[in-house]
Amino acid sequence: MILNTDSIKPIYLQIAEWLEVEILNNNIQEDERIYSQYQLADMFTINPATAAKGLNLLADENIVYKKRGLGMFVSPNAKQFILTKRRKQVLEQMIKGLVVEAKRLDVSENELIKMIQAFKPVGKEEEHL
Amino acid sequence: MKVIQSHNLSKSYGKTTALNDLTFEIEENTITGLIGRNGAGKTTLLKIMAGHIQPTHGELRIYSQKPFNNLERSAGTILIDDSMMYPDSFRLVDILSEVAPFYANWNNTLANGLFDYFSFNPNQLHSNLSKGSKSTFNSIIGIASRCPLTLFDEPTTGMDSAVRKDFYKALLKDYLKHPRTIILSSHLLSELEEILEEILLIKQGSKRLHLPVMELKELAVGIRGNAQILQPFVEGKELIYREEFAKDNLYIVLRKELLQQEGEVMKQKGLEVFPISTDDLCVYLTASNKGGIDNVFKKD
Repeated sequence: MILNTDSIKPIYLQIAEWLEVEILNNNIQEDERIYSQYQLADMFTINPATAAKGLNLLADENIVYKKRGLGMFVSPNAKQFILTKRRKQVLEQMIKGLVVEAKRLDVSENELIKMIQAFKPVGKEEEHL
Repeated sequence: MKVIQSHNLSKSYGKTTALNDLTFEIEENTITGLIGRNGAGKTTLLKIMAGHIQPTHGELRIYSQKPFNNLERSAGTILIDDSMMYPDSFRLVDILSEVAPFYANWNNTLANGLFDYFSFNPNQLHSNLSKGSKSTFNSIIGIASRCPLTLFDEPTTGMDSAVRKDFYKALLKDYLKHPRTIILSSHLLSELEEILEEILLIKQGSKRLHLPVMELKELAVGIRGNAQILQPFVEGKELIYREEFAKDNLYIVLRKELLQQEGEVMKQKGLEVFPISTDDLCVYLTASNKGGIDNVFKKD
């Protein structure tokens, strides 16, 4: 498994986001056990403390819950929660950047909306990116 | 538990100061990166930890003991560097079998597995190995010895990038199964930062930073843009780095905590605010006071 090491995004965030995508894609079901910090460390060749921070991030948001001595499990409703969160955080951030850049380039509001409407993702893979 | 405790540690060679008043502690079973420029004192520090040399002032303790002239400590410590000497007549296979009895946790299966994986010829002489192959061979000894305190001094010197990746991967995999305290020195943080937990950054023998590597990535931000717009925002603030470029352009780096809410305002005014890569940050933090290489050429 390969991480984007050139990315400025901290590794533990990349781990947390990767796990979220695994949950969204149903690769890990609700109430199923999620990877341990040592499994993640081995899979991604990262320090187990980094992996633990990624997992704790999910635990703080109640996306996963701890079972004493058994590890961490995906919470019921985790999928819905991730969807709502991502719409709010990721999409809104992207839109902010888009609007600022459009202003710098003198693109009017209407033009920008038309550009968004004109864009059609190609193929199914693109939707997952 | 703290494995290494260093208090006001100093080391001088004649009039040259190699280490200057170093105080830090290292937790058991962590992987720490010892980062610094050439001549920063990394090798001196590792040699003191391994008990090869004594400090001039202050003290360093490993498991509460001074490592110099200490048999118990040297049995539990291994220092891998490129000055390791073996008898000239020894073949690689001889070295492996002679090294093994020195280390209580030595694992033969692992040593032979790595030896085969990296395609070494058992009958070859160590002195005939290339620079990179020497480093690789020494690293096999470093991993297979499974010493409670394992020290690597620039272990990847001369290794090609595929071997480097394999080395870090092998080290991490074995560490996950058999946790131990590992210190790796390097001048290049980016190639090993993923496997680190902590980073100890030294500059001219003094400690510059000691913190979890995760925090380093979020320590500082860079801001770039029009100097007139940018200057008022950073007036009176301590800057890690500052560079004027092109016409009226300014690039600065400062601690994130000094910025707070201003970041958003800056972005809206057309300034670029972005995170700093850990490698760049280390360069800025360990830069000399001579204003960078550009200044040498400005004198013409």
